[in-house]
Amino acid sequence: MILELMIALTAGAAMFGTGLYGALSQTNLVMIIMGVELILAAALVNLVAFWRYLHPEEPAAQMFVLIIMAVMAVEMTVGFGIAIARFRSRGSVEMEEARELKG
Amino acid sequence: MNFLALTLLAPLLSGLTILALRRAPEALALAGAVLGLIGAVGLFIAASDGTVQAVLPGLPDMPLRLVATPLTAVLALVVATVAGFVLTYATGYMAGDPEKARFFGTMLLFVTAMQGLVLAGDWIMLLAAWEMIGFASYLLIGFWHGRAGVASAATRAFLYTRSADLGLYLGAFLLIGVAGTSEISGTLAITGAPALIAGLFLLVAAMGKSAQVPLQDWLQRAMAGPTPVSALLHSATLVAAGAILLIRTAPMLPGGALLAIGIVGGLTAVITGLIALAERDLKRLLAASTASQYGLMLVAIGAGVPIAALLHLIAHAAIKSSLFLGAGVFQHDREGTGLDTLAGAGRARPGIFAGFAIAALALAGIPPLAAFFSKDAIIAAALASTAAPWLLPLALAGSVLTGTYMGRALKVLWTGEAGPARTPVPFMAIGMSVLVALAAGLGFSFGALEHVLGAEIEKPGWIVPVIGLAVGIGGLALGWFFAPARLLGPLLAPAQNGFTVAGGMDGLILRPSLSIAAACEAFEQRLLAAQIGLIRNLGLGAARLVDRGDGQLFKFSIWIGQQSLRLGRGTRSMDTNRIDVAIFGLVRRITAASTRARRLQSGLIHRELALTVIGIGLIVIVLLTAPHYF
Repeated sequence: MILELMIALTAGAAMFGTGLYGALSQTNLVMIIMGVELILAAALVNLVAFWRYLHPEEPAAQMFVLIIMAVMAVEMTVGFGIAIARFRSRGSVEMEEARELKG
Repeated sequence: MNFLALTLLAPLLSGLTILALRRAPEALALAGAVLGLIGAVGLFIAASDGTVQAVLPGLPDMPLRLVATPLTAVLALVVATVAGFVLTYATGYMAGDPEKARFFGTMLLFVTAMQGLVLAGDWIMLLAAWEMIGFASYLLIGFWHGRAGVASAATRAFLYTRSADLGLYLGAFLLIGVAGTSEISGTLAITGAPALIAGLFLLVAAMGKSAQVPLQDWLQRAMAGPTPVSALLHSATLVAAGAILLIRTAPMLPGGALLAIGIVGGLTAVITGLIALAERDLKRLLAASTASQYGLMLVAIGAGVPIAALLHLIAHAAIKSSLFLGAGVFQHDREGTGLDTLAGAGRARPGIFAGFAIAALALAGIPPLAAFFSKDAIIAAALASTAAPWLLPLALAGSVLTGTYMGRALKVLWTGEAGPARTPVPFMAIGMSVLVALAAGLGFSFGALEHVLGAEIEKPGWIVPVIGLAVGIGGLALGWFFAPARLLGPLLAPAQNGFTVAGGMDGLILRPSLSIAAACEAFEQRLLAAQIGLIRNLGLGAARLVDRGDGQLFKFSIWIGQQSLRLGRGTRSMDTNRIDVAIFGLVRRITAASTRARRLQSGLIHRELALTVIGIGLIVIVLLTAPHYF
């Protein structure tokens, strides 16, 4: 049982590493959002794995995961909306060129 | 009782009616006077049988009383008679005066007041009537108040008599207090010291009203009034009030008071006689003569024979009113009363002059005219008196002077230019002739009068009439043949000035008053100085104390101010040096920190993400190392 947990955690850690790398290394807004989504998905994998390992009889974690997936969909919608708007106005979604948010 | 009411109310009502209606004053006045005369005659007849009395409600336990004894009834009759004929005369004299309604109204009120005084049965009534007389005489003397000097003469007369009235008040209240009743007949039983003191007080009142030395000056000045007023107030009314008061109270007066009365009367008779002799104005001469004749009456009272005074008063009332009425006619003719102006006025009117001369001879005491009898009675009384050494020479000198000044007046009126013939004056002549007839013939009724009064005078021996006759004729001869300057010699100037006692007030009251006032003033000055010193010292001390307190307070205030300033300065330095520095330092640091923090805000997403990762990494490290902290 512990083995399955280890496998799931390893997969989660790999996903998290991939997502982190993608978010930090890419300059394209779409790619950054995808990296962030990967990090979130890794977190969900970990959540599901620990639920299965520790409290499989409780349904609350499943509901929690479902709500987070809905929130991820909304978040991606907003992020891509911004990306489309930026692309329309500037013709590019390269984040090295976007310094307007400098304080 | 009815006659009593008639005597008083007839003149009162007619006077008030005249003043209210201001129409037909002569007719109303004569009606009132005639009714009053009828009342007085009836009263006299009734009183000869027995006393008539009326008690009216007045003060508690002190009802107002009117009483008609033979004495008071005779006086009322005299007043009514003289008033009636003077008013008859006045209808002619005042014919042209636009204010005659006021004149006749006031005259009748005056007569009412006099009747009230004469018939008063208690002191309260007497005081009231006495004051009314003073007030009415003020109105009458000041009748021509528009003319120069008249108002002051009226005021002077009023003030003189009014101030002497104080004696009457004191005397009357003393008598009421001692006797316990206000009825005059009840108070006459008083003897001893109260009687003496009250008698002297009453003498003062009588001196004021009857113009005795030294209060004689007002009477001559009162000539400013119309002649009928002079005739009335000199004969039977105002001036008579003083003598009447003393005659009525004579039974009470002890020897000391009688002596004082006699001496005052005698001195007045001589001094005012000299003044009359030196006088250069006919009416003023007659006025001085009035005071002189009342002096003789006071001599009679002082000699203890008030009946003689009463007889002389009656005779004098008729004589003096005749003389004044005659003088009034001459005054009308010549527009003045100065003896120079009137020289020869008698020749223009022989009839009036005859009447004037008869009255003058009567006053001088020529038989068988009225004053011969009364003056004989006075001389006899003075001769028989215990105080004869003082009273007799004064009475004789007064009588001689009477003849002398009347002789002088007759001579002045008779010698000189007659001037043009005059229009007849019927009313004045009627009024005057009746009074002259009375002046001539009254003497024969004196015997009957004494009988009615129940006090018959002992008939003097042959010596007294001889003395009286000699004195009268001698006086007349002196006055006719010698000028006053030769008679008086060095006395002329002071006599013309009314002697230094003129005005009485001057020497007797004014100067002492002034010296008292000066003494009071000096005393007050000293008191004031002492007061000022005291107050100054007190004030200075208090001020110094207050000043010191004030200084302390001032210093304290300054100290508080300084402390406040110091506190303020400390607060300010605290504010600038500490709080401000701290706040500004904080602000500066915050600004610097914000500037530094700003640098993190590159705006590049991946850098932000990297920072986020670093932060998470730090948190992870903190969390992972947490078990090792404790």
